[in-house]
Amino acid sequence: MFYSKHLNRAVDNLKSNPQTSLVSVSTFAAAFCILGLFMVLYVNLDSLLATWSRQVQIIVYLNDDLKKPQLKKLEALFAGNSEVSSVEYVSRQAAWEKFKNTFSAETEFLETLAFNPLPASYNLRFKPGPRRVENIRRFAEELRERPEVESLEYGEKWISRFEKFMVFLKVFLLAIGGLLGLGLIFIISNTIRLSALSRKNEIELMLMIGATHRYIKTPFLLEGVLQGAAGAVLALLAAKGVHAYMSFQFSDSIAKIARDADFLFIGPSGILILFGSSVAVGWLGSYISISKVLNMVNES
Amino acid sequence: MIQLYNVFKTYNGNTPALVDISLLIKERSFVFITGASGAGKSTLLKLLFGWERFDSGQILVKGMNVGKIKKEKLYLLRRHIGVVFQDYKLLPNKTVFENVAFALEVTGASARSIRYKTSDALKSVGLFKKRDSHPMQLSGGEQQRVGIARALVHNPAILLADEPTGNLDPDISLEILKLFEMANQQGMTVVFATHNHELVRRANYPFIILDKGNVVRP
Ligand SMILES: Nc1ncnc2c1ncn2[C@@H]1O[C@H](COP(=O)(O)OP(=O)(O)OP(=O)(O)O)[C@@H](O)[C@H]1O
Ligand SMILES: [Mg+2]
Repeated sequence: MFYSKHLNRAVDNLKSNPQTSLVSVSTFAAAFCILGLFMVLYVNLDSLLATWSRQVQIIVYLNDDLKKPQLKKLEALFAGNSEVSSVEYVSRQAAWEKFKNTFSAETEFLETLAFNPLPASYNLRFKPGPRRVENIRRFAEELRERPEVESLEYGEKWISRFEKFMVFLKVFLLAIGGLLGLGLIFIISNTIRLSALSRKNEIELMLMIGATHRYIKTPFLLEGVLQGAAGAVLALLAAKGVHAYMSFQFSDSIAKIARDADFLFIGPSGILILFGSSVAVGWLGSYISISKVLNMVNES
Repeated sequence: MIQLYNVFKTYNGNTPALVDISLLIKERSFVFITGASGAGKSTLLKLLFGWERFDSGQILVKGMNVGKIKKEKLYLLRRHIGVVFQDYKLLPNKTVFENVAFALEVTGASARSIRYKTSDALKSVGLFKKRDSHPMQLSGGEQQRVGIARALVHNPAILLADEPTGNLDPDISLEILKLFEMANQQGMTVVFATHNHELVRRANYPFIILDKGNVVRP
């Protein structure tokens, strides 16, 4: 009851300054759309990183002609590492079969090879965990020193580079989020200030006839919140539109980059964060300006 | 009811608007405040409902120490007071009824009591029939009646009037004065600021004369 009356007043305020309201709503929409698209980028890179780092494994290529005890020794070493989740031995023969299967189109060329050029190998997979990449790296360096090991392969370097990039992206997101937020607070407070000043006489009268500050402020706060909410909804729709367009237009290349991963949109919590911060920014901006106007009227 | 002790008021360091004012206005009394333009009548009224702050002294209204009330709490004082202005201060986009109801709305009264009390107040000033008009469609005297109805509608203990007949003809002024007398008879304390000596003489109530911020004769 209390709020429906204030809501009506807020809507009246919005309608009586349609241009300024429109400007601030569309500024909100533009800013949060940009932010939303960055979040889409982040979400997808993050899921890509998760997929890839789940797939990180060490492939230990072995020297030819190792004897059983030497293999046993290596296997004991793998078993002794508590981070290793699975060990798969690929013999030279198995590697060769797999290679031939993969490149079956080129069988003619392959037939001309008289011998098997591939080494035997162990594929090591690791348990998930916070220091996973670090653990993998340490173990890989240890293995590299072994005389049985010809060489080894793992995606450590660019995985950790990618992780650093994601941290950077997160900081960058927060930074532009903060900057846009500040700009929006400035814009919304200006809009609400104009709206409040156009009702200066009414505010003055309300004070004189015994309205509380809260009563006077509430419609203006709702006005800011409504603008923020409307902006956020438009922004999310626009971002979803861009997302849909991109997944349609670039579905092939996306499938190539991300293998079977989907092109994700911001999840429910991300949407909630966007919407919540838009509303919060609307509230804060209007709170600042209506408090100022109220003080100014009250001083006179 | 209303007590002032050695009250001083100066607007931003200029010449003083009120100088060492001490006075007592009893409950249920009717008091005129007169004096030349710039004597400090409006300023005195504004101090009483906490619209202006004063430099020193004490003001007690309905047992409240006005100088000590925080800005956010002044509404508690103001809900005991009705104020009538020379320029009516009606909201042009609201009807007569809505203008009067507004004073109840801001206090969070229920819709039913708003309807009931607003109709009552409009009847008591004789404007119930014009409840759906807008202020611009009314004469000055009628607009001031709406202003009075709005000041009366929450049944305040004190009615402050700042030159309420300043823009009106003498005949209309007398009618307006009658409305204040009626409110006074119903138990409200009325403080009526005017420089209309004719009105003061005819009504025969106690009066306070201000001259350059000083009380000349209480
Ligand atoms: N807001 C203000 N800022 C500065 N000075 C003011 C302000 N209001 C009033 N004054 C000054 O204070 C003095 C008293 O003014 P006030 O309005 O109380 O007089 P008044 O008796 O109501 O006059 P009038 O009959 O013309 O309404 C005057 O000198 C006036 O110039
Ligand atoms: Mg005056």
